Amino acid sequence: MAPLILFIEDDERIRTVLSLSLQRDGFAVAEAGSGEEGLAAFEARPPDVVLVDLRLPGIDGFEVTRALRRASNVPIIIVTAHGDSHDVVAGLEAGADDYVVKPVVAKVLAARVRALLRRVSVGEQTTTVVRVGDLEIHREANVVVRDGIELPLTRTEYKVLCALAEHPGWVLTRTQLLEQVWEYDYFGDERLVDTHIGRLRSKVERDPSKPELIVTVRGAGYKLAT
Amino acid sequence: MRPWPRAGGRSRRSRPSLRTRTALTFGLGAALVSTAVALITYALADHELLSQRQNSSLRQTYVDARLFKEELASPEARLEDVLSSLARANGVQVLVNRDRLWFSTSALVGSASLPASLVSAVLAGHPADQRIYLQGMPAFAVGIPIPSVNAYYFEIHSLAELRSTLETLAIVLAAAAAAATVGGTLLGLGASRRLVRPLAATARVAGEIAAGRLDQRLPPDADLGPLVDAFNDMVARLQERIERDARFAADLSHELRSPLTTVGASVELVDAYRQALPADGRTAVDLLKAEIDRFSDMVQDLLEISRVDAGAEPVELDPVLIGELVEHTAAAHPSPVAVRVQPAAAGSVVLGDKRRLQRVLVNLLDNAQVHAGGSSLVWVDRRDGAVEIAVEDHGPGVDPAEAELIFERFYRGKAAGRRSAVAGSGLGLALVAEHVRAHQGSVRVEPAPGGGSRFVVTLPVVTQ
Repeated sequence: MAPLILFIEDDERIRTVLSLSLQRDGFAVAEAGSGEEGLAAFEARPPDVVLVDLRLPGIDGFEVTRALRRASNVPIIIVTAHGDSHDVVAGLEAGADDYVVKPVVAKVLAARVRALLRRVSVGEQTTTVVRVGDLEIHREANVVVRDGIELPLTRTEYKVLCALAEHPGWVLTRTQLLEQVWEYDYFGDERLVDTHIGRLRSKVERDPSKPELIVTVRGAGYKLAT
Repeated sequence: MRPWPRAGGRSRRSRPSLRTRTALTFGLGAALVSTAVALITYALADHELLSQRQNSSLRQTYVDARLFKEELASPEARLEDVLSSLARANGVQVLVNRDRLWFSTSALVGSASLPASLVSAVLAGHPADQRIYLQGMPAFAVGIPIPSVNAYYFEIHSLAELRSTLETLAIVLAAAAAAATVGGTLLGLGASRRLVRPLAATARVAGEIAAGRLDQRLPPDADLGPLVDAFNDMVARLQERIERDARFAADLSHELRSPLTTVGASVELVDAYRQALPADGRTAVDLLKAEIDRFSDMVQDLLEISRVDAGAEPVELDPVLIGELVEHTAAAHPSPVAVRVQPAAAGSVVLGDKRRLQRVLVNLLDNAQVHAGGSSLVWVDRRDGAVEIAVEDHGPGVDPAEAELIFERFYRGKAAGRRSAVAGSGLGLALVAEHVRAHQGSVRVEPAPGGGSRFVVTLPVVTQ
């Protein structure tokens, strides 16, 4: 079955043409013209990915992202006209997984959606449960458990954790994380990594202000404490 | 490149600075006043002391003359004895003329020591006095006729002591005048420093504003009130204007992004069905795609440069391995190019914004693509604590007269009068200059060996 994309965008022309392109690329698209409509559509028919424009009349894209994130771990891509501004960081902090900048190129958008939907390959690792500190990563079920309770990680956060857990104690640069998790090349936006590490810490660290599990290595990147 | 006036730098000076002039004026004033005071003081002291001394000498001579007369009045007194018995104050010489003969208390002093006019006046029966020089030293001579003993009594009072007193006074006054001059100069320096301080502050703020920090203002200053107000007002208007212009360009390009998305995605969609189109339809789609790409780039560049102008472009400075960045950028560019990172530059780290540095190189490669059919070689090397990134091509080269101009916005060179099918936005090199400047670097164009041109970006290297 084709993955369902919920596309929340107030500009009808953009919505129409990008929907057509995405459909051609093999996705099913549900359209919404406002934040309110989008949230209602999400309730009615949970999508696999949400695409949301940040500048919406009424409930804006940031609010929609926050509301969706409270309710679900669905991958969210924000659409912004300002790639360099604080909009991107604010959107990512609100809970978005990735972003695209207008003018949006349909092929790029489709590639982004596919990257987000890609599951973590279990690979050649023989163990299906990886222990990191007091966490258990159940690789086949794609869940992280602590003290018998499943942690509410988004798919992207889970991927970041898995990438770090692959080589505990080794430093992964931001570029490496961008390649492994988001499938970006050398020029991916490192702010993606930093905001996701921040969110991940708030979920897996006992004290997120003093991270003991995911450690920042100044000038290099991040590593998982062993 | 914008020729901003270098407000922070030193301007050429054809005359001494205000500070020097103020200090000199103060010094000269102090010198004039103190010298005048010293001269008047000296003149008054000289006059006063001299007249006092002359009066006392005169009185003493009369007293001595009376004593002399009384001693000589006794019948058995001899003049020589009387003369030698006279108790004389120090520095006083006595001469007596009696019966045309001269008697003196000192062998060194004779009638020749006295001026002839004085002698003749006294010998004519009139008391007289006169300032004279005795053996080169100032002295005061007094002559009194004493008819009762038929003698003429003269005394010469040395004024050497007075002169040495005056000399000491002169030295003290000269020293005081010199001290006052030096003090005045120092005072002038201090005052001028205070005077110039607000001007220095103004220059500093003007320099920062010229460098793009438009939110800088002068602090209120009691002395420069109107100037500060006018200056701040001017900067506020300037800021408003620049921000309005920048906002206009940003808003414009921003507004264009939505229709561009629609148009671009629509053409992509049409292109996906190109097999269904007749040949001329396909040509039209290709043209449309190329033009939309160009338009999109232009909007992108316009937005970018307006953000730079508005100072809104964030410069996120992270350590960047420059060789690696150049290799990645060149590899991602549509037209293939050889990259040579010299061993000396291999580990060079630049403090920079990866995305903007990428834009610099991409724009240079695009420029080579448009004007020279692509870059022939990109190399990275170390030179004098900096890293040089060069993009060479085998194109027609850049006229040296245009070497600066091509970094201006929308500059179309003489050679580029015709529009090629792959014309740029006209902002590419201007953005290169802006981004490089934001990294404290520089960019230049020079002839490449073997023809063509070579664009060289120089960036400071982080020393570890």
